[in-house]
Formats: sequence, structure tokens, C-alpha cells
Amino acid sequence: MDPKLAEVSQLFERFKAACAREDVDTCCNVLSKLKVLLTGFSSLPPLFEDTPNAIHELTLARDIYEHAVLLSVKIGDQDAFERDFFQLKPYYTDASSSRLPPSSQEYMILGLNLLRLLVQNRIAEFHTELELLSSTALENPCIKHAVELEQSFMEGAYNRVLSAKQTVPCKTYDYFMDLLAKTVRDEIAGCSEKAYGYLSVSDARQMLLFSSDNELLQYIKEEQPEWEIKTGQVIFQKAKESASCKEIPSLQLINQTLSYARELERIV
Amino acid sequence: MTEDVEMKELPAPSNSATSSSPSTLNHLKEIASLIETGAYAREVRRIVRAVRLTMALRRKLKAQVLCAFLNFALSPGSEPHNRLAAHLPKEDEHEMEFDTATSVSQSPVKHPLPELEIYCYLLVLIYLIDQKKYSEAKACSSASVARLKNLNRRTVDVLASRLYFYYSLSYELTGDLAEIRGNLLALHRIATLRHDELGQETLLNLLLRNYLHYNLYDQAEKLRSKAPRFEAHSNQQFCRYLFYLGKIRTIQLEYTDAKESLLQAARKAPVAALGFRVQCNKWAIIVRLLLGEIPERTVFMQKGMENALRPYFELTNAVRIGDLELFKSVAEKFSTTFSSDRTHNLIVRLRHNVIRTGLRNISISYSRISLADVAKKLRLDTANPVADAESIVAKAIRDGAIDATIDHANGWMVSKETGDIYSTNEPQIAFNSRIAFCLNMHNDAVRALRFPPNSHKEKESAEKRRERQQQEQELAKHIAEEDDDEF
Repeated sequence: MDPKLAEVSQLFERFKAACAREDVDTCCNVLSKLKVLLTGFSSLPPLFEDTPNAIHELTLARDIYEHAVLLSVKIGDQDAFERDFFQLKPYYTDASSSRLPPSSQEYMILGLNLLRLLVQNRIAEFHTELELLSSTALENPCIKHAVELEQSFMEGAYNRVLSAKQTVPCKTYDYFMDLLAKTVRDEIAGCSEKAYGYLSVSDARQMLLFSSDNELLQYIKEEQPEWEIKTGQVIFQKAKESASCKEIPSLQLINQTLSYARELERIV
Repeated sequence: MTEDVEMKELPAPSNSATSSSPSTLNHLKEIASLIETGAYAREVRRIVRAVRLTMALRRKLKAQVLCAFLNFALSPGSEPHNRLAAHLPKEDEHEMEFDTATSVSQSPVKHPLPELEIYCYLLVLIYLIDQKKYSEAKACSSASVARLKNLNRRTVDVLASRLYFYYSLSYELTGDLAEIRGNLLALHRIATLRHDELGQETLLNLLLRNYLHYNLYDQAEKLRSKAPRFEAHSNQQFCRYLFYLGKIRTIQLEYTDAKESLLQAARKAPVAALGFRVQCNKWAIIVRLLLGEIPERTVFMQKGMENALRPYFELTNAVRIGDLELFKSVAEKFSTTFSSDRTHNLIVRLRHNVIRTGLRNISISYSRISLADVAKKLRLDTANPVADAESIVAKAIRDGAIDATIDHANGWMVSKETGDIYSTNEPQIAFNSRIAFCLNMHNDAVRALRFPPNSHKEKESAEKRRERQQQEQELAKHIAEEDDDEF
């Protein structure tokens, strides 16, 4: 076998062993070395040359990047995830059609990416990515999970979102689900503010998913200083609403009228 | 004249030629002469007219006519002629021989104008595509594009842009669109360097179409945002650009922009382009549904579009009523149509709108309703409908879709009284948007006015100048007198 290829394979085995041991520092070091070595292969994107070992090299590179993605989830580094995922993507889209056999982890990683976009509230990119998936991909449980999650999020059925945490298809999703739970809690707080006049403390605690009253009080003190707590009830501020109707937005009206006058004068 | 001789000889001995063939040939020759004059005078308008006339002749093109025209336009033994004739099927050997015989006996070898050569490529390409010979069309178009890279004349630009269009079309019909992406990008670069604006427009549209064909919305948007923009030269290209822009914006969830682009594209499109207008309307309907407004019935009843828009009509009905069950059944019933239109993902997004509309109807009709009843009316088929309903209602209140409050302890939703709209700023805002639109339309129309090109160059003759000066003097005296009178 090609000496370069042999070297990379050996290093990759060490990397996998370090991952299994949960030795994060060694993993990162070995990964950077692997990436440098990968630049030596010319059959990888963006060149895609047809060397004799092309398929082997492509498969190896793809495995390395998949492991890199999973590592970044483990250490909780979202930027690294994004970088590695972008490097991984051409292997799924361009290379797969021609030569490589499909990877077993492809759908899981695609689902992870969708979840990440959802958590970061990049919904436009979420939908753009969704368009790229074929209908068979959409049937896959990992991806279906992410899609249904987005729907529930959009509709506002937050309890469904939180219960979906129990039904994750694989353990790697847990990290993002935790982040999502935090976002959902903020959303619920925002909605409750507008929808309810007041809530009893126990109800509020249940809805916001705190395990004790103290946590609830702390949350309110930090995040929601406008809420008042009186006699075992949380009262949301609503008094500011009705006063604004009486004002006339004079600046806006003046601007509009001036623009009408200018345009009309232009008509010969 | 040599032309007359050819005309008289051609109809007589050709036994298989129908009566329309000589007149088509005549038309083609007229067009050729139009192109020649245009090329010599450097007037692009004539070449545009020539192309338009060709499109009218499209149905009547036949192999013999094309061969005869090729012989007329390009000298038979030359390089370009051989290349082009190779693409045409050799139907009538006898015909071909006779034609070569006559033309050889004719006047001296003409040095063909590049415009004429490109025009011949265009004719052959159109003929091949109409005859559904897509692989030959592919070969012919690739050859023509290779030839075009060497030419750099403004008068060829119009013909070149049509050629690029058919080049892309022939590849699309054979399913190889991804192959030419690199070529199209290179051609776009070249067109930009040469300030060939029509070519730039056409190629940008072709590239966007290429990306959207493979659902690469991200890359399409990146290209579109970076490409240089300028005033549209061709109405058709502008319509296409608006349509692609609308599609990209829809996927990126920017529904207001998308609606504007799509509706404009549907309005500006020529009446004959039925297929295009149907597609624009389909997307426009979906975008309006996603925005929460219901399109009127007349949109679905436009001439020629009733059948194509039928699935969307039923979908709109389901959304209007706010019934989730109906929505699901309609989506399943027409799922093949939606998948072929690539609107399937958008339909899935509509579920949220159906729920919202249903909720709005309930909120308006009831002053107080229990959440369990809300869940039942909305037909939410989930594990925990009441809790779901509560969260959905809370989110709807926060987004401002309905005006109500929830009483958690009793499990009720209490609607608020809707105030008088006219006492707020709403009418002013609506009026403002309409006024702005009309004024923009007026400005665009003024800018689009075209004056004949040489009118400002006319030099006044000395006589006319004297006359004008005399008139001005009289007028000045008149005004001065008037002023005196008033005093």
C-alpha cells in the first residue's frame, strides 16, 4: 500500500483509540496531525483527481472528518462542528454519486447539523439544508426527528419539544437537546408573559421546568426583573400596553407627506 | 440577379418541396439580409428584429430549407458550412446534390459574416431541439459556444445570448445540467469583461436556473448577491430573474420579498408564456398562504390555468377553513403534483398556518372557550392535546395573531374585544404602500420611454435657427408688453 496511506491509517487508529478512552487532548492533537497529512492526497476535494488509491483515500478522509464532527460535539465546540461539517459535506454530495459507498453515519450527522441550526435559530439555513435532502433521506428517523422538532418549535407546542428529548435516535443528540431546552424555556417565559395575567408559583414552576421554587425565584430575579411575586402568585407586567394609542407618529407622517409632494411635483 | 435565378430554379425541379418551402426560404433570406445590414451599420436593433422574425418561422423549418439556407449563407466548401451541415440529417440526397450544383455555379465565394455564421448555428440548434434530437443539439451547441469564445463583436451579443439559452436547454433536456456549470461561469466572466450586458443577464439567469434545478439554494443566493446588477435589457430575462429571486427568498423564509418578486414576474410575463405564468402563480399562491393571507378566487380562475392550479385551490380552501384533517388529506391526495413542482417542503410548512387560521377563527367567534374544546376544534392529533393547545395559543398571542388571554387555573381562553381599526394608523400605512407603488410605477414608465436614437443629433439648419430665434424674441416682447399692461 502507499506509504502515505499507511501512515494516515495508523494515525487514525490511534485517534480512534484515544476517542474511546475519552482522552480529549490527545484526540485534538492527533486530529490536527491527521488533517495536515490529508492535504498530501490529491484525490480529495477540491481537486478530486483520479489516483489509483482514490476510493480508499476518500473513504478514509470521510471517516476522519466524521470522527472529527463527533469529537466536536463531545467537547461542545460549535464552531469546530461547523468547520468540520463543511469539510465533510462535499464527501456526501459530490463524491457519493460517483464512487463512494454510502456512509453508515451519514444521516445521523446530517440530522445533527439540522439540530445545530435549529438551536442557533438559523431557520433559513435549516430550510435550505432541508431542500437538499432527497425524499428517502427525509424518511430516516434521525432526520425526521429534527424536522418534527422544528415544526413543533414553529407551532409553539413547546411541551412536545421537551418530551422529544426522551425519544432521541442516538446519544450524541443529547448535547444539542440540552441547549434547545434552554432556548425553549426562554420562549415559554416570553409567551407566558403576554398570554397570562398571572400564574400561581407552582404552575409557573411546572411550565418552566424548574425542579424547585428557589430555582424559579432565581430565574425570575436574573432574567425577568419585571415580573412581580405576590402572595404565591407570579404577576406579569401588562400595564404599559394601552397608553400608546393616543400618540400620532408625527415624524413618520411628515416624511410620508413630503415624499408625496416631491413625487407629485415631478409629474410633468 | 443571382438571387432571382436561384429562386426560379429551386421550386421547379424539387419534387418533394412543398409550396411553403420556397417562401420560408425567402423569409430566411430576408432575415439574413437584415442581419447583414444590421452588422454593417452596427445597429443591434435590427438583429433583435431578425431574431424575433425567426421565432415566428420556427414551425416551418425543415431540413431541406435549412440546407438550402446554409448553402446560401455560407459558401458550401467552407469550414463552418461543413461543421453545421454535419449536424443536419441527410434526408434528401437528391435535394442536396442539386443545391450544391446551383450554388457552385453562382457568383463568387462570399466571405461569411460572423453574425451570419452564428445565426446559422442558431437556426440549426432550434431545428434540432424542435425535432427532439437532444444529443445532437447538445453537440451542436457545444460547438457553437466554442466558436463564440473567439468572437468579440457587440452585434453578435444578441445572437450569442440566444445561443447560450439553447445550449443550457439542450443539456437540461438530456439531464446533464451539472456538466456545463463551469462553462457557464466562465462565459459569465467573459461577458462581464466585455461589458456585454444582455449576455450577463442571460447567463446569470441560466446559472441560477442551473443551481435551482439541483436545489442548491445557498449557492444560487451567493451568486446572485455578488453578481453585478444593472437595468434590465430584456423583459423576458427580467421576468425570469424575478421568478428565480422569488423562489430563493421563499426558501429563505423571507416571504414579503418573495411575494413581491413573484407577483411582479407573473404580471410582467407576456401572455403567451402560459407555463411560466402558471409556475409563478403556483409559488405566489403558496407564499401568500405562508404569509397568512388567502388569495382570491379569481387568481385560480385565470384563463388556461384552472386545471394546473386546481390542487392549490383545494389547498387554499383547507387553509382558509383552518381544518387540519382536510389539509392533511389534500396534501396526500396531490402529493405527486407537489413533489414534481418541488413545493412539497413548503406545503409542510403550511401546517402551522392552518393551525393559526383555525385559532383565529375560534378566537373571533368565542368570547370564552375552554382549552380542551380548542384542542378538539383544531383537531390536534397529538399525545397531549390540551397542553399542546395551551402552548400554541400562548405563542399565537405573543406573535400577535390573536388578541386574548389564558386563564390557567380554569383552563380557559378569553378573547379581548377588537377595537376599531380606523382609529389606528392601519389605514394610513396601507394607503402609503399603495401610493408608493403607484409612484414607483410612474417613475419606471417614464424611465422606460424610448426615443428614436438620432433625434438629438439633428443639426438645426441655419434657417430653422433664425426662425426659432425670431419666435423667441416675439414671445419675450409679448411677455414684456403684458407686464406693462398689468401695471
